[in-house]
Amino acid sequence: MAKKEIAASANNNKKLRTKELIYAGAFGALYIVLMLVIVLGTSMIPILYLLAPITVGLVCGTVYMLCVLKVRKFGAALILGVLFAICACSNAWFSFVGALAAALLAELVIKLGKYRSKKMYLLSFVVFNLNMACPYMMLSFARDSFLKRSVEYYGQEYADGIEKIAPTWIFFPILGFALIGGILGALLANTLIKSTLKKQG
Amino acid sequence: MYISVYGEDRSALVRFDSRTKFVIFISSLAVSANSFNATAHEIYCVVLCVMLFLCGKKWNAVKMSLLLGTAVYVRTCMEMQATGSTVVVTIISFILTIFLYCFPILMSLLIITQTTRINQFLSAFQAMHIPTRIVIPIAVMFRFIPTVGEEWTGVRKAMAFRGMSLEPSVIIRHPVKTVEYILIPLLFSCISIMEELAAAALARGMDSDNARTSYETVHLRAYDYITMILFIAAGIWFFATGMVTGGAA
Repeated sequence: MAKKEIAASANNNKKLRTKELIYAGAFGALYIVLMLVIVLGTSMIPILYLLAPITVGLVCGTVYMLCVLKVRKFGAALILGVLFAICACSNAWFSFVGALAAALLAELVIKLGKYRSKKMYLLSFVVFNLNMACPYMMLSFARDSFLKRSVEYYGQEYADGIEKIAPTWIFFPILGFALIGGILGALLANTLIKSTLKKQG
Repeated sequence: MYISVYGEDRSALVRFDSRTKFVIFISSLAVSANSFNATAHEIYCVVLCVMLFLCGKKWNAVKMSLLLGTAVYVRTCMEMQATGSTVVVTIISFILTIFLYCFPILMSLLIITQTTRINQFLSAFQAMHIPTRIVIPIAVMFRFIPTVGEEWTGVRKAMAFRGMSLEPSVIIRHPVKTVEYILIPLLFSCISIMEELAAAALARGMDSDNARTSYETVHLRAYDYITMILFIAAGIWFFATGMVTGGAA
């Protein structure tokens, strides 16, 4: 019944309505809170801090999937991406743009599936999760200023620590982590949603 | 820390407009990202605590400033001493750094979520003729962050009642199970709240294209303008000095 309703509203009106805007905003809050909890909880160990794209992708995949499956129109992933970018990627303009680009690409992937194909929805999260790599862009592209800032603000030890665990090419492994996190998150979301829907009947 | 779902400003000393609070939030994002001057950063954090105090959450403001003071004190002590095992020092300074880095964002989120009602937020932005498609997601996000926290406590209590603990060792041993046990109840309780929220919004005619009226009268007063100008100036100053340092390197 719910599915029929969604399908009908998607046919009638391509634009997002208030209800869907509320869903998108609320899922955005969920996504951001979960992300902050995970990142702050794991960042005590520097290695886990760099692995955050995997852990966040694993957990937030389900949130993302429920959001786009509930709205099924252009804009859900984009709003989620914008809210994410505002809260997490404001450290440099290129991370902000990168996060927005990831969200737009995810929208495109969903559009390729014509807002119906489940595989495309799952694939879109893999693309969407690339935005987790964007806050780390500082480490590669603005490395000098980042390190200098760390020395002035956080002290030499911290900067040395960062320099040790994060070489210049660190961005590419992180991009890879984001991809892996996206795949794992999509798979987990698939099984979780399937099993809970079955339980609910 | 108890976060009330609905922000209230009855005990506020100065009633700031929600737009001012939003400017503070944006400015804090810029400061967090570009701060490299420790003293200026600390002054900014103290100003945020004062703002929270003025907005009426006096006890929280005192608590947060005590936390801030402790963090700065410990960090200064560690810098002055420069002894102790490197591993411990690195880990502690990493935690402190993350805390201080997030402090402005956390404080401005507290200011928005604890002392602004969602209808104030909506009517303030509607007065600026910003389309509802932009305002609603942002307003709902700020409204929903405390709700997620509340639901999270509820889920944790329910899990404890059933004898499932959420200790780190358990999370490490069964990561997927833990995710399932926390995430699914959290998600579904949040979804039911979203549906109620959407129904309430529909019942109040948010879907119509007509201009909404509101009980709230929103005015920008002189102190709003002064605060906004100060915070924008602070944000730009942090941004500019950050750029200069980056350019020189």
